[in-house]
Amino acid sequence: MAESDSDAEENPQEVSQPAGPPGVLRERYFVRSNQPLPDLSMPNAEAFAAEDKRDANRSLYALICRPELPARVNVMRAMRGVSGLGLQQLVEWGAMSWPPAGRQCLAVVYEKPAGKRVMANLKGEIRRVDEYEIGRKVIDPLVNGIKEMIGRGITHRAIRPTNLYYMDSAGERLAFGDCVTSPPALDQAAVFETVESGMANPIGRGSGTYADDLYSLGVTLVFLLLGRNPVAQYDDDAILGLKIKHGSYATLVGDERLPLPMIEVLRGLLCDDPTQRWDLEALLMWQQGRRLSPLQPRVEKRAARGFPFQGREYFNCRELAAAYSRHWDLALPPVLEGKLELWLRRAIEDKERAQAVADVVRGALNATGDKKIASDVMLAKILIMLDPTAPIRYKGFNVMPDGFGSALAVLLGRRGDTRLLVEMVMREVPSLWFEGSADKRRPDTSQTEGNFRELRNFLTTMGMGFGMERCLYELNDGMPCQSQLLGEEYVVELKELLPALNTAALKQSNTKQVPVDRHIAAFMAARARSDINRNLVSINDPDPGKALMALINLLAVFQYRLGPESLPGLAAWIGALCQPVVAGYHSREKRKELEKEIPKLVRKGSIVEIYNLIDDAGAREHDHQGFGWAQAQYQAAEDEIKRIQLDGDDRAKEAERVGKQAAAVTGILIGMITVTITVILTVW
Amino acid sequence: MAKKPPPRVAAQPQKKQGGVNKIVVLMIVAALVPFSLPTAIIVAPCLFPTLGAYFSERGNNRYAWLCVGGLNFSGVVPTLFGLWFGVHTMDEALRLLSDATVLFWSYATAAIGWGIYKAMPPLVANWMSFSTERRVAGLKAAQRKLVDDWGDDVRKKG
Repeated sequence: MAESDSDAEENPQEVSQPAGPPGVLRERYFVRSNQPLPDLSMPNAEAFAAEDKRDANRSLYALICRPELPARVNVMRAMRGVSGLGLQQLVEWGAMSWPPAGRQCLAVVYEKPAGKRVMANLKGEIRRVDEYEIGRKVIDPLVNGIKEMIGRGITHRAIRPTNLYYMDSAGERLAFGDCVTSPPALDQAAVFETVESGMANPIGRGSGTYADDLYSLGVTLVFLLLGRNPVAQYDDDAILGLKIKHGSYATLVGDERLPLPMIEVLRGLLCDDPTQRWDLEALLMWQQGRRLSPLQPRVEKRAARGFPFQGREYFNCRELAAAYSRHWDLALPPVLEGKLELWLRRAIEDKERAQAVADVVRGALNATGDKKIASDVMLAKILIMLDPTAPIRYKGFNVMPDGFGSALAVLLGRRGDTRLLVEMVMREVPSLWFEGSADKRRPDTSQTEGNFRELRNFLTTMGMGFGMERCLYELNDGMPCQSQLLGEEYVVELKELLPALNTAALKQSNTKQVPVDRHIAAFMAARARSDINRNLVSINDPDPGKALMALINLLAVFQYRLGPESLPGLAAWIGALCQPVVAGYHSREKRKELEKEIPKLVRKGSIVEIYNLIDDAGAREHDHQGFGWAQAQYQAAEDEIKRIQLDGDDRAKEAERVGKQAAAVTGILIGMITVTITVILTVW
Repeated sequence: MAKKPPPRVAAQPQKKQGGVNKIVVLMIVAALVPFSLPTAIIVAPCLFPTLGAYFSERGNNRYAWLCVGGLNFSGVVPTLFGLWFGVHTMDEALRLLSDATVLFWSYATAAIGWGIYKAMPPLVANWMSFSTERRVAGLKAAQRKLVDDWGDDVRKKG
């Protein structure tokens, strides 16, 4: 199940020596692309020589992250500049233009170890660390390193001998290697993970807790004490099976002879019960010489008779649940036929659990709707009942709740199938897990549970800014925006988005393309401090004018809040798209005014002013009222013309009447004038 | 609700009163005839076209007698004034009547009256048509201006 990416560490890729300009991080650190350092490379990040412009004598190297993987940006922020015993100093990090990739990549600059990796690969052998020196040389620095990280609220999740370095050439100063260039525990072999985390797919192990780091430290100590991998002959599945069957300590230490004080600490660190496992306090007490009673391994209750499944017999619930998870479809018949219930009742003698299983099976059988869906959800529930501490398991995909984000990111980055993850959320499997899980040690359970409910809402909304992309950015703080529109730009924070779009605008040839796509919208929604869901609904408006206005509004708000003041490229892109908005005004005069003003604001690079110009509510209202008045005028004129044209007959009659009247008046007037003239002539 | 009957009672006295007025006027005119018989001898044949116009026209708008009468009278007035300010006798009246120019002028002016009466309605009709066309052209120009200012959408009903 838990195929690991750690093999890449053992077989470093053949190194090419590309010539080219160096990458420059924050105008200070030069990363030499023609000086690769395969010995310091991580499975998902290549190492190159780095140089500090201000201090050329400083020995540095840089790891270049893969753009498709979410780096642990929150850990980078927390660890930047931290130097201490057991820690390799993370000097600087950030996106930079990386010539070999032809795009921007995230680079992490570290203090370069003077010594080598403690173990080159997990199958090799090293000199055993002396029992009298292991405390001073190994445990003290590493515990201090973990303590530093716990103090900053972060976990390492990449503690293994192949990720430990001697920071000095004398081999006295041991420190943890990188833990930020890939998702948590992605590169860990199952042997270094707790049983629960080991059952999860490597991409979905999650940040976990410091208890997971302490477990990995315990396994690492075993490797260093023995000078080799005690389970090198087994694959990950077999190791997991052995851990479940015999317990971690027994699996890793077995019959090896270890010093008594080390047995105590290893039993504490390798305890499979998370509540019993040694915490930092216990470890510090042990370091100070206070001896605690060794923990006795507690393995799960063994059944009186095995449960036959796929040619094997399983003697406890955890083993069987893991097997069911691996063979999902084959697991359904024995469960539906009641064989599992019978086994729980008779062989395990757990009547309560048997009854709960029977109820769930009955519920699935009586369910209306799609029987396949009901069966899948039923099996997910039953697996939680059989092993409540295991990861969320659905159709063979196992993921820790806090590893869901990284799993999604890795699958999307690898163009993998995300349907299982979507189904898992849509069918509310995580909620079932939170209801039934025994993992109550994590303080953020309710928040994580709430997050899954929110994810479901995002997935049920199809527009831009929602869907799978929104889940991706909500769950991965360090995930760079994956939009094709950004080209080679590496955008992790919202304030980097507008400058990146500004640069991308210069290369944009499609004038009809809006400066937003599903990834950019989801990225903005996830990274914005305020809730912009209402704006996103407007961005998805079927009216292109309204949608564009909503987008410009959003970009203007981000420019106003986060800068920069001038974005001529992006402003030109938006200006070219403003036609529908300008066309939204009815007044031709207003349109001409806007068409004259927008180019001026484009040159200024102000999206804020472009928005204010085209979204003048007063002008819009004035335009609306004016248009209404004009329509009424036009219609009145139309009615008048029709009336005139229809009144032809009446007008002829009227003309006849008026003509006759006028003739009569004329006749009378002529008569009167004649009389008057005659009178005057006669009397005169 | 039952409709009220038409006000028949009120209409009858009005009609009766109009008839009374006419009779009174005719009686006065008849009474004056013996005192101005020479005038009547001239007026009666000379204003014959006016009488003809009055009786020949049908319909609501009977204005021909006014138009023809006005001009017909203007043709007779000089003769009447000659009679009144000259020798107002029957002989003189008959002499004037036997003069062809008197009848000619009275009948010619009546003919001119008829001409005016016939020509005026088409003239008025033409003038009204011209003013209507100007009005329509003005309205269409205003509509074109609205389309220029607000676009084709302005044609749609709001």
